[in-house]
Amino acid sequence: MHMATVLTINGETKSFDAPPDMPLLWVLRDILGMTGTKFGCGIAQCGACTVHVDGKAVRSCVLPVSAVENRTVTTIEAVGSTPAGAKVQKAWLEAEVIQCGYCQSGQIMAAAALLATTPNPDDSDIDAAMAGNICRCGTYVRIREAIKQAANGRQS
Amino acid sequence: MSGKMRIFAGIVVIAIVAAALGVFIIRGPGPLDFAGGTKVALADYRAGKPTGVPAKLEKAGIVERGEYLTKAADCMVCHTKPGEKEYSGGLAFKLPFGTLYSTNITPDKDTGIGNYSDQDFLNAVQHGKRRDGARLYPAMPYTSYTFMTDEDVLAVKAYLFSLPAVRAKAPDNTLSFPFNQRWAMTFWSAVFNPDTRFAPDTSKSPEWNRGAYLAEALAHCGECHTPRNLGFALDNRRKFAGAITAGWRAFNISSDKATGLGNWSDQDLISYLSLGHAPGHGSASGPMGEAVDNSLSKLAPEDISSIVAYLRSVPPQPSPNLPATTAPVAPASHRDGVTADARGKQVFASACASCHGWSGESPVSPMATLTGTWAVNDPAATNVAQIVLSGTKRHTPDGALSMPAFGHAYTDDEIAAVANYVTARFGAKGSKLTAKDVAELRGQTAE
Repeated sequence: MHMATVLTINGETKSFDAPPDMPLLWVLRDILGMTGTKFGCGIAQCGACTVHVDGKAVRSCVLPVSAVENRTVTTIEAVGSTPAGAKVQKAWLEAEVIQCGYCQSGQIMAAAALLATTPNPDDSDIDAAMAGNICRCGTYVRIREAIKQAANGRQS
Repeated sequence: MSGKMRIFAGIVVIAIVAAALGVFIIRGPGPLDFAGGTKVALADYRAGKPTGVPAKLEKAGIVERGEYLTKAADCMVCHTKPGEKEYSGGLAFKLPFGTLYSTNITPDKDTGIGNYSDQDFLNAVQHGKRRDGARLYPAMPYTSYTFMTDEDVLAVKAYLFSLPAVRAKAPDNTLSFPFNQRWAMTFWSAVFNPDTRFAPDTSKSPEWNRGAYLAEALAHCGECHTPRNLGFALDNRRKFAGAITAGWRAFNISSDKATGLGNWSDQDLISYLSLGHAPGHGSASGPMGEAVDNSLSKLAPEDISSIVAYLRSVPPQPSPNLPATTAPVAPASHRDGVTADARGKQVFASACASCHGWSGESPVSPMATLTGTWAVNDPAATNVAQIVLSGTKRHTPDGALSMPAFGHAYTDDEIAAVANYVTARFGAKGSKLTAKDVAELRGQTAE
């Protein structure tokens, strides 16, 4: 019924059947089995589903899969192979950011996108980039700390 | 006649003349008077067929033709309450003087129009008269539909009668005195309903005539886009100059270069009408989004082109309250650009930036790009506040895009702040909305 959809995810070409209006998050989790990206609110308001499209942090729960054809998608499964993503993951472990962890793949994706464009973010940059990523455990203080640590680590 | 009687008679005559003149002045020109060409009766027009259905449906049965015309007239949006069965009525129009509910136009005999004869249906659609003789309120745009041919009106009836009957009684209207006096609409109708069928203009092209029929008789563009006069009828002296309808701003669609459609390319207009989006001009939402989804997107390509040809001919009407040029792309960083409203910025960062970007050019989809849209360039911020309150869901050929409704998530104060921030950052002039303004907008949307 539907034409096969072809996406480039984490550098690999994936082909699958999905209706064009299916959100990318559904494709990732239910069709491709990539469950690192989480479902939170489903209306782009919590940030748990954040992925990169062409390097920018976007919410995959409201993004129709048809809108990302011919664009580069990166998920939490592969963000560690980008320079900014590697720094963020390292800093996250060192600062012991994670509590329950549910929002953290989204937090890491947002932080990695921030550092890729703003290598030395100050508090206002962090607010502007991270305000849409909600953490129910309240790990915000450690998130901020880890982003600064990742930025400094990048410089050294 | 005594002297006193003569003076009294004189006063009466003067009063009648003054009243007639007043009515004449208030009524103003008809919707097609601007064209000024030679009008002929439809039967005498030989250059083409401006009425009816497009060529591909010419041979179709009456129900199929009626379906096309019903969609072109966009009956469904007003006659369907969200979540209820199509055409079963009950949509609430909130007016300053009470609430009006749309009626059930399915063929149910008790609660719908199942007992309507052809003449009853013509009376309602062209003359604003209900089967029981009562007058319709002009929320039903019969002053536009009156231009439809009998044949087309009856094709609409045939289509509606082919649908399943739905038993659904709309709530009673809650209009206050004197607006609850339906009989008074007799006078309103006598003054403001042209009560005439479409007459082609031989000085214009067949395409223009088709566009005029589609835009005026069926699509009733002016009902939202033309300002209203003292009598709540369309003021065609300012035809298509834009107006507020159901709490949303219907923008200027005259040919004015700065604030109307004068600078839109034909391709932009075709794209906007048939898909609800044109690059650099934003996306249709609210009532226009519904008009595109349920009506304009169903029209044949040649009909869309005809509407464009017609729109081009409407004289320019500047909107002095809109900026002469829309604002360019905002800076990519949150640091640069206007940050007048710290609270608005905070809301924008947490709720909006991930889809709309800090520059206004969406990282997600061109449909979510704010740059260049009238909504963010309107210093009244009406539609920005409305879309934040109620969200949108757009169906496009390549998938659905939606924006969640934030009306229940944020306070009026926060919505005012984010609207002020958005218009200042992405528009030509920032708005000064207050929580009270937002509360009023909440109260105006149809539901």
